Amino acid sequence: MISRVLVPMDGSEMSEHALEYALEAYPEAAITILSVVGEPSSMWGSATGIALADDFEQAAREHAQPTFDRAGELASEVGREDDLETAFELGHPVRAIINRADDYETVVIGSHGGTVAERLFVGNVAEKVVRRSPVPVVVVR
Amino acid sequence: MVETVLLVGIVASVFVGFNIGGSSTGIAWGPAVGAGLLSKVAAAGLMTFFVFLGGWTVGRNVMDTLAGDIISIEISLAAGVAVLFFIGLGILIANVFGVPVPTSMTTVGAIAGLGLATGTVNYETITWIISWWVVTPVLGLWIGAVVGRYIYPELNRRFEISSSEGSLLALERGGSIPRPALGPNTTYQELGGTIVVLIIGCYMAFSAGASNVPNAVAPLVSSGALEADPAIIIATVAIGLGGFTIARRTMESVGSELSDIPLLAALVVMITASTITTALSWAGIPISLVMASVMTIVGLGWGRATRPITAREAIRGDTDAELSMGALTAEPDAPVTKIGEAESDEALDAGDLFNPRAIVKYVSMWIIGPAMSTLLAYGFFTAAGIS
Repeated sequence: MISRVLVPMDGSEMSEHALEYALEAYPEAAITILSVVGEPSSMWGSATGIALADDFEQAAREHAQPTFDRAGELASEVGREDDLETAFELGHPVRAIINRADDYETVVIGSHGGTVAERLFVGNVAEKVVRRSPVPVVVVR
Repeated sequence: MVETVLLVGIVASVFVGFNIGGSSTGIAWGPAVGAGLLSKVAAAGLMTFFVFLGGWTVGRNVMDTLAGDIISIEISLAAGVAVLFFIGLGILIANVFGVPVPTSMTTVGAIAGLGLATGTVNYETITWIISWWVVTPVLGLWIGAVVGRYIYPELNRRFEISSSEGSLLALERGGSIPRPALGPNTTYQELGGTIVVLIIGCYMAFSAGASNVPNAVAPLVSSGALEADPAIIIATVAIGLGGFTIARRTMESVGSELSDIPLLAALVVMITASTITTALSWAGIPISLVMASVMTIVGLGWGRATRPITAREAIRGDTDAELSMGALTAEPDAPVTKIGEAESDEALDAGDLFNPRAIVKYVSMWIIGPAMSTLLAYGFFTAAGIS
């Protein structure tokens, strides 16, 4: 029985589908929502904004909070908000996800997130996670 | 016949200028508009005026380089129109996909492509320009890093730029003559801050004019089909048009990206980038305002993220010197918390925000864009047999 599942979410619809799938497929598991903030972007605004904040952890948490709120809503729809944990990391999504994946039995991830520009800056996250993850990965599409 | 070609060329110029207006108005005024310090229309108006000023003065040096120094022959009118199409193509890709394609570099690339096809490239000038393209990002990064690491925290303590409720200024009608007074809730510091933001925005608009006006029209000026003075006016009108129309959207997209950065930091970036761009334009070197801006932003963030001791660690008395190496080592374990639970005190590493590989990948896009425009122009002019 799968008991620890990692679901990286970026606020996109596809990542919400990933969470919905994880909730359905692993009814017994504890699910950790991972939100990576301050990722590379066209002007590095988000990364620099977080770095310049007096308390960058606080700033990073504020960036991640909307994603956590949305995840909480989705989980409470099926009455499983208690099974949800949240975590956030800084910087490149792929690296952050791979660094954490070891602590989990499965990673459930949406097949793609953002716009053309975002894919250019950070690449296709799902594809790279599949290639480099130490644990099995479920790609939701 | 010549008139028709010139007309097509001017239309292409206006298209290029229009798009430049869209993107550079966003950078110069996004932070101020985002902070609610002035309206988008006022920003576009100031933009147009200062772009003209920059193009009319310092911009002429860049115009001379683009129109006459990169290749040893003059750019014929037909070739100039083709070059403008390549510049426009680059800008179109930039705007549609949100990818930064530096206009100045694309322009130089397209003209150099023409030079390669006709064997007239002035290698000395090209080498000189490219060496500055290498130096500029390094300079921006370095200035940003020094400010971010050593000066910014202090600046941040001393200056606070804010926008209070109510209008900035009000007319006081009590005396015999109405005179301006501070609006409701306005402090002198806020008034001063607003004026500083406006002045810096104008400075950035000036440098945008100096570096970007020539991009839109230099290919037509080279053959003498268009005189420099009317060309600068055409470019200004086109950039202004972009500023009043599509910049509404870019001010939001660029503005939202830049609004993640504190206004004070945005001002530091704008001063640094504008100064670099104006100085290089003065020396006749085509340079991208966006490139200087982004590298200063990265420098600021990186400098601050890798400062030796963070506030939190200082409080805990946990001052391990190895933390300054944070940018290079990944911190695998960040806090896991239940929703609504208190935060664990395990530290994140801000250095992770600026992964060197991600920065290299980003910079490589600046190399690919101009290289593509050079190759495309070379292929086109070789095939077309223009000489």
